[in-house]
Amino acid sequence: MDVQQLAFEKTVNVFINSLSNYFLKLTKKPIKTYAPFVKEPEDLIMKECTGMIGISGNKKGLIYISGDMGMFEDLIKQYVGLNSPTANDMLDMAGEVSNVVAGNVRETYGHEFMISIPVVFKGTPDRLKFPDDVPIYVIPMSWNGHEAFMVVGIK
Amino acid sequence: MKLLIVDDSSMMRTTIENHLQNYDLQIVGKASNGEEALQMVIDKKPDVVTLDITMPKMDGIQCLEEIMAVAPQTKVMIITALSDKYTGLEALKKGAREYLYKPVTPEDLKEGFDSLLNRN
Repeated sequence: MDVQQLAFEKTVNVFINSLSNYFLKLTKKPIKTYAPFVKEPEDLIMKECTGMIGISGNKKGLIYISGDMGMFEDLIKQYVGLNSPTANDMLDMAGEVSNVVAGNVRETYGHEFMISIPVVFKGTPDRLKFPDDVPIYVIPMSWNGHEAFMVVGIK
Repeated sequence: MKLLIVDDSSMMRTTIENHLQNYDLQIVGKASNGEEALQMVIDKKPDVVTLDITMPKMDGIQCLEEIMAVAPQTKVMIITALSDKYTGLEALKKGAREYLYKPVTPEDLKEGFDSLLNRN
């Protein structure tokens, strides 16, 4: 494994820790993550509901958190206390999860690690943007019976 | 006591409202960006503002500066995902009274709010 790949995998672990902390702290239920794998952007198939954050400053790239509506519905019921969330509420929650996961990474990378406001979408868009020459890691996860994944493409 | 809730996530606005229900509060508005928030501060004169930082149009740090310029008595509690110390210190220097890192639990919110209300 070369030095660049090792550094990238350390970055991926920082995001995994942030994602784990989010669900455990708010729901008292841990996530389970599975072995990350590399994927080309054109081969990515997103789930029903995705939140995306752009990264700039001392790192450049994007992260996506993608899950089925049911996962975000469950999270809203447990955390927000809303019993009948709408599809827009679930998309908003996907954006908020991605915002918090990316924002918490500043504890490691400092204030020069800049994050965008969330962009949310349903299904797989025509084109997913990533910086050139960046390995794109897909980190599968499950939480409370729901399967989801986080995609990290950062340099 | 009049409260304004500012966050670009509608789910976070609802969360904050639901988790502060036990306080004697009148929610005078909810805003999804700094521009809306500033206008509501001018129009509705809240005593307390919960303020996110990463928002469209005007971010929370700029909004905080503008609030302190027009209504310096307002008690502002920052609630943000930005967990670096620099941003927290910057917000406190600019007039925020409390700074909470997301993800915030109901207990975090109550603790932060109690601390905010008990300060002079």
